[in-house]
Amino acid sequence: MATLPHDDIYQLVREPIDIAALARSVRAPEDGAIVTFDGFVRNQSHNRASLYLDYEAYESMALAKMHEIGVQLREKYRIHCVAMVHRLGRLEIGETSVFIAVSAPHRAAAFDACRFAIDTLKRTVPIWKKEYFEDGAVWADGELPPAPAATPRAKPAS
Amino acid sequence: MTVLFFGRLKDVAGHAEESAEIGDAATIEQLFGLYAARYPELARYRSSVVASRNQEFAAWDTPLRSGDEVAFLPPVSGG
Repeated sequence: MATLPHDDIYQLVREPIDIAALARSVRAPEDGAIVTFDGFVRNQSHNRASLYLDYEAYESMALAKMHEIGVQLREKYRIHCVAMVHRLGRLEIGETSVFIAVSAPHRAAAFDACRFAIDTLKRTVPIWKKEYFEDGAVWADGELPPAPAATPRAKPAS
Repeated sequence: MTVLFFGRLKDVAGHAEESAEIGDAATIEQLFGLYAARYPELARYRSSVVASRNQEFAAWDTPLRSGDEVAFLPPVSGG
């Protein structure tokens, strides 16, 4: 895997996410912009009032996929630093479940990279949430990650 | 081999982790078939499952080796 700047942060945590500290962590004198994404727990889902959410992850693979997103960001955008943290376990309404901060010399790259990071995380990082309601719980609808197609079969000898 | 189930697949299988021998299944597809026979409800989810081998998304015809860690993953819903 390509190496990432040592001041990048990729974490899965079980405690509340300190979004101000993470935003500060990507800030450097050579930068001119930081774009952040704060994803937090909504009080309803499909018009039903939510009580709370419970997140679980395939932790080793999730961290590997988060690092891969960092590598992709470096290939696509002129950015400086990335902080990407997802929380697991029980989260109450209004609590931050995912936070991403991207710093860059100029704002356009920071906006584009932050958008790419959250969109890619939601499609490829193995994390799942269960939504709890007054009358039960359901696994949230999700996105099926793109998986490699079946290996092409060798052509029969002619 | 270690076999892992997540999300609703874990609920269907009743637990998160199993172990299998390499003689039980030669490919990821065959391994899933083995568990679908054991837990019939699993088969219903086949079209909405992706598999991974050693923490990388893998095609269904991927051959298995002893010591592999295979996981069956429902649609992801982080964020």
